[in-house]
Amino acid sequence: MAANRLTLKRWLELYGLYAKMDLAWFFRDTKFCLMAICADLISNIAAVTGIFLLAWRFDGVGGMGKYEVLFMLGYVTVITGIYQLFFSSFNTGHISRRIGRGQWEHMMIQPISIPVQLLVEGFIPVSGSSNFLAGGTLVAIAVANLDIHLTWWWIASFAGSVLISMIILLSLSYLFSAAAFYAPAQAEEISSYVLDSTGELSKYPLSGMGLAIQIPLLTLFPAGLLGWFPSQALLGKPPLGLTPLYPCLVAGLLFFITKQVFMKGLDHYVKAGTNRYSSVGHRR
Amino acid sequence: MSKLEPIAIPPSATAVRVQSVTKTYEQWQRSGKGRNVIKNLIKPEKKVITALDSISFNIQVGQFVAYAGPNGAGKSTTMKLLCGMLQPQTGEVTVLGLSPQRDRIELMRRVGVLFGNRTELWWDHPISSSFEWKRVVWNIPQKKYIRTREMVVELLDIGNILNTFARELSLGQRMRADLALMLLHEPELILLDEPTLGLDVLAKRQMISFLRRLNQEKKTTIVVTSHDIDDLEEMAERILLISRGHLAFDGGFEQLRKVVGSLCRVILTMQGKGVPTLSCGTLLSHVNGICEYEVDISSRSIQEILGEIATIPGVVDIEIKKPPLEQVIAELYSRWKNAEEDLAY
Repeated sequence: MAANRLTLKRWLELYGLYAKMDLAWFFRDTKFCLMAICADLISNIAAVTGIFLLAWRFDGVGGMGKYEVLFMLGYVTVITGIYQLFFSSFNTGHISRRIGRGQWEHMMIQPISIPVQLLVEGFIPVSGSSNFLAGGTLVAIAVANLDIHLTWWWIASFAGSVLISMIILLSLSYLFSAAAFYAPAQAEEISSYVLDSTGELSKYPLSGMGLAIQIPLLTLFPAGLLGWFPSQALLGKPPLGLTPLYPCLVAGLLFFITKQVFMKGLDHYVKAGTNRYSSVGHRR
Repeated sequence: MSKLEPIAIPPSATAVRVQSVTKTYEQWQRSGKGRNVIKNLIKPEKKVITALDSISFNIQVGQFVAYAGPNGAGKSTTMKLLCGMLQPQTGEVTVLGLSPQRDRIELMRRVGVLFGNRTELWWDHPISSSFEWKRVVWNIPQKKYIRTREMVVELLDIGNILNTFARELSLGQRMRADLALMLLHEPELILLDEPTLGLDVLAKRQMISFLRRLNQEKKTTIVVTSHDIDDLEEMAERILLISRGHLAFDGGFEQLRKVVGSLCRVILTMQGKGVPTLSCGTLLSHVNGICEYEVDISSRSIQEILGEIATIPGVVDIEIKKPPLEQVIAELYSRWKNAEEDLAY
C-alpha cells in the first residue's frame, strides 16, 4: 500500500521527529542534559583509558603496539557511541525491558512496522552523540600515528566493519531478550547483562591470550568481534589466520538465528499474551 | 463550540465482526513445596483458562456499544484481539473489513485505542510534543492535523495543559489528553478499555458527554468496557454482556432489565420510625424512616401498589424507581455463578 511505503523522506521525517524531541530535552533541561552527556562521556573514556595507559607504559600489550591498542579502543568507543546514538534511548537496544514490562503493546498500536519503530525511536543525536565523537577522535589520533594509507576503500571497510559489529551486538541483545517473551519478570533485565558483559570484554586486546580464550570470544560469545578482531583486520593483520570477512559470516549467522528465535518468541507473545504491565521506564 | 463533521460511511456496514472466537490462557500452578521441584522442572502443572469460548457478535458502523462483564470475563482480551495485540486460538476477527493480525498497520491508521490503565502520552514531554509525535508517526496531513487538534483541544478543554508534562497532570487531565491524542487521526472506530477508571465525578461527566457527542455527531463507532454499568448505560445504546467467555446478553439496557424480571424499587418516607409491611414487596432497607422495598410489577399493577400504600398511615413521600442496573447485572452474575456451581455438582 502506497501509504505504508517507507521513502527516504519518511525515514528522515521519523529520525527528525526523535531528534527534535531530544533537542527539546536539551532546551528544557539544559543543565541535566549536559550533566548526562558529560557523565556518559567520562564513564566511557575512563573505561578505555586504563587499558591504554597500560599499553602506553609497556609500549604495547600482547604484541599490539600502543597506537594499535588505541585504534582498537577507539573502534570499541565508536561502536558504543553508535549504540548510544541510535539504540540506548527508550530501551530500543534493551528490548527485554520493553517486552518484560508488557510495553511491547504500545508498539502494536502504531501504524508503522515494528522494525522501523525499533530503528528510529532510540535516535538521540543531541544527548547521545558524545561517545561516537570521542571514539572518532581516538580513531583519528591512532590512524595519524599508525602506518595506514587512508583510501576511500579503507574508509568504506572501516564503516562496513562497524556495521557488522553493530549487527553482532544488537543480535546478541535481541537473541537473549527473546527469553522475556516467555518469562517477562525473570528476563526483563537480561539485555543489560548481555550488553554490559559484551562491552567489558570487547575492550581487551586479545592478541597475547591463549587460543582457549581467543576462540570462545570469536565464536560462542563473540565479544572479540566488537573490537579486537575487526581493528586488527583493518590494520591488515586479521588474527588466527582467519579471513577479514569472518565477522560477516558470524553476523549473518547470528542475525538469522536471532530473527528465528525472536519471531518465535513474538509468536508466543501474541498467542499467550502478558499479564505484566509497567507504565514506567518506557518513555522518558 | 466546534461542530464535529460526520464521516461518510454506508449505514449498514459492519465495523467489527467476531466469529466463533476462542482464546485460552495457561496459568502455571506453583505449590512452592520441595517435593514438587522435579515436577516443576520437567512438567509444570498448568491450568487452562478459557477467556473467550467460541464467541460471536457483530457491531455496525456508528454504534456505541458497551462491553461488560465481571472480572476475568474476557473484556480486555477481546479489546486486545480487536486491535491485534493478541491472536485468537480459533475463529476470525475482522475490524473495518481488515484482519488485525495481517493488516495491523493499515488498521491502526483507522482505529483509535485507549486503555485506561496506561498512557500513550510521552511521559517527560509536554502534551503538545505528544501531539506532534502523533502527527508524524501517523503521517497526518498538516491541514487535517491543525483542524482536528483545534477541535479536540476546545471540546476536551485542554488548552491550558498543552505545555504541561504528562507526568504532572491529574488523572482526569491525563485521560482527556490521552483521548485527544487518540482522536487526532480521526479514527473510524474507537476501542476504549476502562476509560473512566479512577476518574472523579466531574472528569467522568466530561468524558461521557464528549464520547456521546462524538458518536452522535460524527457517527464514530465506539466500543467501551467499564466496570461502572451506570456509566455504560449513559453512554451506550447496546450492551454485550460476557460471562466466563460466553456472550450472555446482547441487546438494549431496557431489555437487560427485563431479563431479571419486572422488579422496581418503592421508597416510602415515613413520618415516624415505623416500618410498614407491603404485601406486594420485600423490604430491602430502612434508615431513619426511609423504607426501601423491591416490588414485582408484573404481578401487581401500579394502581394496586399505590392503593395499598394509600392505606398505610404516616406515609410522607413515595418514590418509585427502576432497579439500578448494577443490581440487575449483579443478579445476573449471581445466577450464572449458581448455574455453573449446579453444573459442577
